[in-house]
Amino acid sequence: MSQEPKRGHFAKAKGEIILREHEFDGIQEYDQKLPNWWLFTFYAAIVWFVCHWALYYQAGVMQTPQQFIVQEITKIQQAKDAEVAKLVAELTDAKFVHGWAKDPERVAAGEGTFLTICAQCHAADLSAKGPNGPLPGLPLNDHKWKFGGKPMDIFKLVMYGSPPESTGNNGAKMQAWGQTQLSPKQVAEVVSYLITKLPEDFKDIPPP
Amino acid sequence: MTTSITYDDKSVRRFMIASIAWGIIGMLAGVFIATQLSFWQMNGKFLETLTGGWIKGDGISFLTFGRLRPLHTNAVIFAFVGNMMFAGIYYSTQRLCKARMASDLLSNIHFYAWQLIIVAAAITLPAGLTRGKEYAELIWPINICVVLVWVVFAVNFFWTLAKRNEPSLYVALWFYIATIITVAMLYIVNHLSLPTSFTHSYPIFGGLQDGLVQWWYGHNAVAFFLTTPILGIMYYFLPKAANRPVYSYRLSIVHFWSLVFIYIWAGPHHLLNTALPHWLQYLGMLFSLMLWAPSWGGMLNGLLTLRGAWDKLRTDPVIKFLAAGVTFYGMATFEGPLMAITKVNALSHYTDWTVGHVHSGALGWNGMMAAGMFYWLAPRLWKTQLWSKPLANMHFWIATIGILIYIAALWCAGIMQGLMLSEIMPSGTTLRYEFLDTLKEIQVFFIARAFGGFLYLCGFVMLAVNIWKTARSGVAVEETVEVTLLEKKQKDGMGFCAAILNDPIAHVILAMGFVLLWFFLPPHANIAALLVAVLLGFKAVSAFRASNGAWTNWHERILENYLPFTVLVFAAVAIGGSVQIIPTIIVNRGKNIEGRLQELYTPLELAGRDIYVSEGCYNCHSQMIRTLVPEVMRYGRPGVADDWSHLGESIYDHPYQWGSKRTGPDLAHEGGPIAKKPDGTLYSSMRVGKRGNDWHFYHFLDPRDKSPGSNMPSYWFLFEKETDVKALPGKIKAQVALGVPYPVMTDADITDRVETQAQDIAKSLVEAGAYFPKKPQLQGDSLRNHLVKSQGVALIAYVQKLGAYKNVKKAQPAEPSSLNPDSHR
Repeated sequence: MSQEPKRGHFAKAKGEIILREHEFDGIQEYDQKLPNWWLFTFYAAIVWFVCHWALYYQAGVMQTPQQFIVQEITKIQQAKDAEVAKLVAELTDAKFVHGWAKDPERVAAGEGTFLTICAQCHAADLSAKGPNGPLPGLPLNDHKWKFGGKPMDIFKLVMYGSPPESTGNNGAKMQAWGQTQLSPKQVAEVVSYLITKLPEDFKDIPPP
Repeated sequence: MTTSITYDDKSVRRFMIASIAWGIIGMLAGVFIATQLSFWQMNGKFLETLTGGWIKGDGISFLTFGRLRPLHTNAVIFAFVGNMMFAGIYYSTQRLCKARMASDLLSNIHFYAWQLIIVAAAITLPAGLTRGKEYAELIWPINICVVLVWVVFAVNFFWTLAKRNEPSLYVALWFYIATIITVAMLYIVNHLSLPTSFTHSYPIFGGLQDGLVQWWYGHNAVAFFLTTPILGIMYYFLPKAANRPVYSYRLSIVHFWSLVFIYIWAGPHHLLNTALPHWLQYLGMLFSLMLWAPSWGGMLNGLLTLRGAWDKLRTDPVIKFLAAGVTFYGMATFEGPLMAITKVNALSHYTDWTVGHVHSGALGWNGMMAAGMFYWLAPRLWKTQLWSKPLANMHFWIATIGILIYIAALWCAGIMQGLMLSEIMPSGTTLRYEFLDTLKEIQVFFIARAFGGFLYLCGFVMLAVNIWKTARSGVAVEETVEVTLLEKKQKDGMGFCAAILNDPIAHVILAMGFVLLWFFLPPHANIAALLVAVLLGFKAVSAFRASNGAWTNWHERILENYLPFTVLVFAAVAIGGSVQIIPTIIVNRGKNIEGRLQELYTPLELAGRDIYVSEGCYNCHSQMIRTLVPEVMRYGRPGVADDWSHLGESIYDHPYQWGSKRTGPDLAHEGGPIAKKPDGTLYSSMRVGKRGNDWHFYHFLDPRDKSPGSNMPSYWFLFEKETDVKALPGKIKAQVALGVPYPVMTDADITDRVETQAQDIAKSLVEAGAYFPKKPQLQGDSLRNHLVKSQGVALIAYVQKLGAYKNVKKAQPAEPSSLNPDSHR
């Protein structure tokens, strides 16, 4: 590599200044001043540190995430309770059987929810049997209703899960679907779907 | 006096070849596990098809994602980048010191022992032998070997420095020094464990402390294993290849010291929005933001060195790779601070965005720098020309395209999943999507990512071919040079007192001390400390100006004295971790638990937990409900407004299992209370959580049976393997030694408790009509007797326990304590 021009000469010829004298294995170093914009980002981040720590942390101008969550989740719970109360006020067993269950849109929506969530444990055909044996849920098509067979009972069961005193099915209890993944309306739709699938169980409920 | 010196280039060649070989294996593992995310059959089922049914099973334990992902990460970090780093360091250190490596024996031991460690890792990790902490999975006997080899490397390196024939240390060497001492510190502290057998141990830290130490280590493994040595390599090979002087010496100084000092503090940004105390979260985020400029200092010094040599970009593949590597470094170090902002992190964390980010570093920075270095080295090490420039160019483009596809796909996947998971229905009371919905939605990006990674791997195979052909076309040579021997007094003549007791250091220590007081003092006093710190800062600047070059001379002189320099580097890197970890160790245990204290695991549950860790479940499942509203809505229990994961809920977890990525849902509150028997009385220890035992049973056998579309491996083999009950007394003894308050239990007590709980669970499964498809002949009692002993039942026991705690008292602010800044708020 001896034919290469000496780097220092090349640099000086180009008018680049402050080339440090010492070479390391042929590597030379300029000593350019630090780019201003770079210094600015560095200083800005340090100033940001001081301000952010002093304001958000030490002075606590904002709620902590914990305070914020308690406030928000409480609000959501209230909204949900109001939603349920509103639905419960307008729903009756009779309205379920003769109103919602006759509405194809609601039944179709309920079927969709049932197949994605409920069928995991109760099976699509409500038998709670899978290809390899029983599923975790109770069968729904055996005309037995452990926690009450009226549409409103079933609504509450799906809404809030198995009651606290229940020992579950081999320990397994139904989750409070209406409190976690499903809205009250979706729960009511699922109940409507069940009514259409099990007309026998609900035939005694008179029209409103 | 001059003498002729022959450099040890044989070691360089060996490390380089090892790096290429392990690189291909590590990347192949990466592509393989990437396909597992889209096709569950890749967890072993595919062998059934390949071998025409000779190998049977829905999943094979040593091919599951949970076991292979650690193999991939360890292979690319420690085997690929590790060997590459050693090749670069051995090559450049000898030339920068004008001295042969101090001891050929140590070089040999270093090389062979490191490869043996990698082989041991490649055997133990798929076998499920793991410590359960990311990038720190290797079991304790291997840990000890790693430390010993690292010491061999360090001795060899520092000995070479001592024998150098160059008075001053070049910037590359500063970065190597920082690498060697910091990695040693991080590795040792994060691997402190109490062995329970030759292959198993518990980390001595638990819960929050373990999480903090883990990410202090994990983040700085990225910093000091994947970044600083490669920066050193950049500082040597880039000016060499470009044949241009380094852009700015003073930028080197400023960015080196700021980088090594600040990097260490940024670890807690891996735990933002978790139960981590607020002050640590703020430190993690704010130091990450301050890290942006120092990181870019390195990028600038790399890219601006190319000024006047940009035309070579057209013709020289080496410059192509180095320039692209430095550019990716700049991109990744901009993205990092961005993701460390608490609000951005709320979206990005636990998603594939993080995975994409780390790969823009690993593929873009490490991989491209490695390729550039290898293409530069090969012709010199074998005294020939590069076999094929066009092939190297082809490698460059295929790698670049591969990376871009990879990161873009994971940006889309991560951001999309993050947004979907926090999307709330218009009513404002329920979430729109199930976890599984989001997973199905990002499948297309997973496939694109696997394709991008595959392209990158193809490029790397081209490199291997090219280097192989180059080596074959030349002969291995050891470079010999004439050097002027230094006289003793020309180097290392500065005493420790002169090096350390002086104005610059005094100013820095004082200012730093007041900054720390600002963090920790009670209100008002802290503001006073801040003011003093700022004043000291100004005073330092004016003293520097007034020093008439004395401060500059001091730094110049310290560069001629490698030991004091090393001591200062160690001080700079030790401060951050000490300030964050030591107060947490002193304060948090038992006191700061936010009102919830974890219930102890029963012996069976502990066995189940060890299986959970061993199978690497933490690679896809977190156990941390973050302090975010959608997260509490999704994973919290109905009617509990403060149902994020509190500090005390995992305080006895050795190792902690908060996780870092969710390919499956969070499991923090998956478990539940002790179940009731049909007669209404309570079981002795069997619990049932969100889902019943039989749900879990079927789900482990075939996840798609319960969750259609899931990509989780099938864990049927857990119901074939027996739980290691005999190891439990020893394990519980170890837990007690670590401070977990187990009551005194005899070995017989432990066995009895395991038997009772396992019987209850097995019975509940059999009564629920469980059916084990692999052994249909097992029915009733015979099935129960089979299940009782199985690992699957222990794992079910553990999963049903997750999130069990007792309310200690109403959460109230901790007593004011100067080691716990949160208590002053």
